[in-house]
Amino acid sequence: MNQDAIWDKLIETFRDVFDEPELVVRSETTAKDVLDWDSLTHIQLLVALEQAFDVRFNTGEVAGLADVGAMIDLIDAKLK
Amino acid sequence: MQALKALIKSEDYELAWQRLMTLADSVGDYPSLTGLCRLRKKLGKISQRPGLRRVVRLAVLGGASTELLEGPLQLFIESQGLDAIVQCSEYNTFVQEILDPASDTVSFKPDVALLMTTAANIPRWPGLGDDLDGVNRTAVDVSDYWLDLCERLHKQTNCEVILDNFHAIPTRPLGNLAVKTPSEPNNFLARVNLRLGENAPAYVHVNDVAQLACQYGVRNWFDARFWFHAKQPVSFSCLIPYVRNTARMIGALLGCAAKCLVLDLDNTLWGGVVGDDGVEGIRIGDGDAVGEAFKAFQEYVLNLKQRGVMLAVCSKNDEVHALGPFQELSDMVLKRDDFVAFVANWEPKPDNIAAIAAQLNIGLNAIVFVDDNPAEREHVRQRLPEVRVVELSDDPADYPRILDDAGYFEVMSISAEDQARTRQYQQNAARVRLQESAGDYQDYLKSLDQRAVIRPFEKNHLERITQLINKSNQFNLTTLRLSRSQVEAMMTDEDYVTVCVRLADRFGDNGLISVVAGKQVDNVLHIELWLMSCRVLKRNVEMLLLNHLVDISSRRGVANIQGIYRPTPKNGLVKRLYPTLGFQEAGDMPDGAKKYSLKLDGFSPLSPPIMVVDEY
Repeated sequence: MNQDAIWDKLIETFRDVFDEPELVVRSETTAKDVLDWDSLTHIQLLVALEQAFDVRFNTGEVAGLADVGAMIDLIDAKLK
Repeated sequence: MQALKALIKSEDYELAWQRLMTLADSVGDYPSLTGLCRLRKKLGKISQRPGLRRVVRLAVLGGASTELLEGPLQLFIESQGLDAIVQCSEYNTFVQEILDPASDTVSFKPDVALLMTTAANIPRWPGLGDDLDGVNRTAVDVSDYWLDLCERLHKQTNCEVILDNFHAIPTRPLGNLAVKTPSEPNNFLARVNLRLGENAPAYVHVNDVAQLACQYGVRNWFDARFWFHAKQPVSFSCLIPYVRNTARMIGALLGCAAKCLVLDLDNTLWGGVVGDDGVEGIRIGDGDAVGEAFKAFQEYVLNLKQRGVMLAVCSKNDEVHALGPFQELSDMVLKRDDFVAFVANWEPKPDNIAAIAAQLNIGLNAIVFVDDNPAEREHVRQRLPEVRVVELSDDPADYPRILDDAGYFEVMSISAEDQARTRQYQQNAARVRLQESAGDYQDYLKSLDQRAVIRPFEKNHLERITQLINKSNQFNLTTLRLSRSQVEAMMTDEDYVTVCVRLADRFGDNGLISVVAGKQVDNVLHIELWLMSCRVLKRNVEMLLLNHLVDISSRRGVANIQGIYRPTPKNGLVKRLYPTLGFQEAGDMPDGAKKYSLKLDGFSPLSPPIMVVDEY
């Protein structure tokens, strides 16, 4: 899967989880920038991403994903 | 889900609520569930759910994070025909919440409290070298610790308590030797669970998380990552079974459990179409894999019947074809006599199901419908949204598990009445036939040879009395629901007059069928509770009861009996009961209930065709 396809799927997952059909996220987007992105939705988001990409985040990664760019990089690395 | 979004967009809120509840009842994956919870929130902001329902106040306490459960619990409770207010307390604050009389939980005044626990909350583990007696003593101590917390909570708030038991730990440092080592953690947890089940008082309902985790696999049930990260007690993939199971217990506590299973025949109870394939051509019984799968399903259904679920048939068939397998095939586990209603015709199924409900005198939400045909299921869902429709797979080997997972028949106790229910309904059918031949109704009642035993509440009937109080909807003047301990309190309170009636007739014993309780204040008896099982409607039991009430009341120096009719969507049947019995209207209450009053002075006893006996 190339970076563009990962981005598309990731944005789709974000929109789904936050129920915001127009939501836009960028590499530098963090939890502070998105309404309702608290520790609970963070977990829901990770579970949704795991399902969408068929990957598994380990315990350290669950806590460490600070911005969307880090998520993209991690997913990209796991898919390779 | 798309259809639901469209309904919300087009502002058809009534249908949207209905659709939401139907979807919630069958949702199977976590992403869809979170989607439904979001839509529930959205819908709740822009419209009020139509209709009148009972509200249940649920407090969730946990040795784990409970926040993520709030939305799903609310939705699953609501989908059973209730309204729910759910309050979750902070992680691991359950001891403070229970002991502090000013805590959020206590001041919330819950009807039901859910105490979520995990093995991390076990206060004390046995030492590796402890012998069997020592380990068992520790198991008793640990289970007592939990039951003691439940008791304190119950005493503070009078709520019913749902207590999780403990699922196994997914690792076993001792390997297979664990089986022979009582102090090994999983060996020990099994002992604690046994004690909880054995020693839980009536107000504690043990949530069998151990069994659920076993069904789904402990390693799927518990996701260590999310435990370390956010103290999630149940993995996301198993959240639905946990919440659904818990919500069913709450529904059962509030009298929402289903009572009757309506079954299709072709490809539901046997393989093939009997009208086309003939009795010899259908697949049921040993020697054929598909036939064995259907037989296993029939065995599961028979187990339900034996614990008190009524069975009915609703099949598109000529009756003669539908009856064939029951009469001719010894491999059929279910017999014609196992069913309280048998409808085989070509009318639309929703009409037939509504007729079955009317015949049995039960609400549509007390019916579970099982049919292999998705079109029939959808037809029933649309026409009768209250009926619980089971979403079968296309494989009969799955049927028992699917029906079992749905949990519609959850009960908090099983009384002798439950086990005898099918027989009682069949006797009822015989009574109806007699009535049709007897002509005049009073003659018919006389011909029934009715005998009644009238007693105050007694300990050995508490279970049945509580059950009747929480299940009766139609003949129920106040629809006041009470826990077993509240009923027990009435029984021992000198100010209360309590009455229950058992009724027998020439066709058999109807069991304990009517309950009345009233509180005497000075010279007035205030009836707080008057209800009767619908099995014995129009048998003049209410006349007998009034005679009895007047009799005890006058001996207690009562001058006036005061009754209340509090209307609900289901109790229109008894709207005129008090005036019919000679009570005078005595004004309205703020909540819309009507008061009635009867002067004892000048009351002339009624003469129902029922003989009062000490024992029949």
